[in-house]
Amino acid sequence: MNSTRLIALLAFATVILVLGLLSDSVASETDPSLPVAETPYVLGDPIEAYVEFMMSGGPPPDGIPAIDNPRFIRADEAGLRPEAMVIGFAHGGEAKAYPQSILVHHEIVNDVVGGLNVGVTYCPLTATAQGFERGETTFGVSGQLLNSNLVLFDRETESYFSQINATGLSGEHRGHTLAEVNLIWTTWERWHAAHPDTRVLSDRTGHLRNYDRDPYGSYTPLRGYYVEDRTMFPVMHRSGSQHQKEMVVGARTADASARFVLGDLESERIQMTENFLAVYDPTFHTGVIYERPDGVELDGLRVLPGGDYEFNGEIHPPRELPFEPLVSVDAFYFAWHAFYPDSEHPRVP
Amino acid sequence: MSPQRVLQTLRELWGRGSIRALVIGISALYLPLFLFALQDISLGGRAFEFLTTDWTRMFDRTGSFTFEPIARLTLPGLTILLSPINILVGGLISLLVGLNLAVTWIAIRQPRACRFNRSTGILASVPALLAGGACCAPAIALILGLQVSSLMVSVVQVLIPVSVILLLITLGLILARTNPELIE
Repeated sequence: MNSTRLIALLAFATVILVLGLLSDSVASETDPSLPVAETPYVLGDPIEAYVEFMMSGGPPPDGIPAIDNPRFIRADEAGLRPEAMVIGFAHGGEAKAYPQSILVHHEIVNDVVGGLNVGVTYCPLTATAQGFERGETTFGVSGQLLNSNLVLFDRETESYFSQINATGLSGEHRGHTLAEVNLIWTTWERWHAAHPDTRVLSDRTGHLRNYDRDPYGSYTPLRGYYVEDRTMFPVMHRSGSQHQKEMVVGARTADASARFVLGDLESERIQMTENFLAVYDPTFHTGVIYERPDGVELDGLRVLPGGDYEFNGEIHPPRELPFEPLVSVDAFYFAWHAFYPDSEHPRVP
Repeated sequence: MSPQRVLQTLRELWGRGSIRALVIGISALYLPLFLFALQDISLGGRAFEFLTTDWTRMFDRTGSFTFEPIARLTLPGLTILLSPINILVGGLISLLVGLNLAVTWIAIRQPRACRFNRSTGILASVPALLAGGACCAPAIALILGLQVSSLMVSVVQVLIPVSVILLLITLGLILARTNPELIE
């Protein structure tokens, strides 16, 4: 090969390389793999304070292995006790249940539900089950904790995210809020009754664990860490106004956050704060939180005997009221307060 | 005393059938306890089942010095996770605990064989206790009802190598003061 041909070949290769790099950079600007919310959630503290407070929980990144190739079985094959806790997700005509007994060992399932790539995440220390769109990447468990809560990372950019506030703490996605989907924390009996065709995460996870044993305690019957009035790791904000493991239902917008004590909501059925409206959902024994609409009189909202709600003469199930729905997160009281100490909450007589 | 002399004493002690049986017995008891602390042996399990996974996963870390299992044996009421490296590390610690406790036993039973106060032999049990707790910080905190601090996590993360070093030091100290010729 003479020198002219060699130079021409090198020039051609350089052009191809530059074009390739340019197309990559354009693609990453216009089509990010990890979906993030258009409007970030309000934060209780500056991100710098979160990063400073974050601490190791012991395991290295991926030391708690996420389930990346989940297998599912039919409901009648699952062998779950009716009172067993599950995390439910229904989307695009598909319903799936993720048993707490499996998630307590893995904390993340990278799954596809109804055509949506989603990361189903669960933190046993804060009792929070939250789903995040994951695009083409997957999530892993970082081994770090913030306010006793799971810190996950995306495997594409290795940005760290706090689970409860769904916010990027470090890396390319620092300050971004993950696109969150609504999961339901409920019992197998309730989930199966509402979704008889649900499929259930198999314990053939690709990893070997003792799924008959919960290292923290038990939900059936309730004992161990899950019922003790103490926390295990330090938290940024602490309050003694409730039992630390009291279940609350929380939600946040760009400007504010709110939390409702589940037991109080079950009694009252409808609770309101300045910016939020919560109703009790007896199907799953949880709360559904809406953004409180401006200029709409809510005195006419009332609960019907079957658990539905009547508003302006029309009957609505708890999840289909004509207001702006928010992602509702069940959590231990201490955990929600640690992230959102200024959360709005209703006054209970 | 030189390291050669310590090794010579160790060889002489190991050559005695009763002492060797004692070391092996203690180690055989201690290894399951260590694996129980790591939660590789745990209560809970339904029917008999044996599962395996890709053997190369034995090198994947679950903690600073703990590793993934590559097989699981489930029995009614008991589950055993087989992690070769955890068993190897546990075996080493168990052997050191066995040796420490055996020489402690000699120190207590036959103090004239050792040129130090018999209570010094108790030294050996301190790192042995540490090694038994060499699991994960949350598990220890859960058992003791403590709140985990960054310091505690850091300490627990190095508990296994620290235990090994302490066991080696105490074993060396005791052996250096043991005269095997005086042991009956």
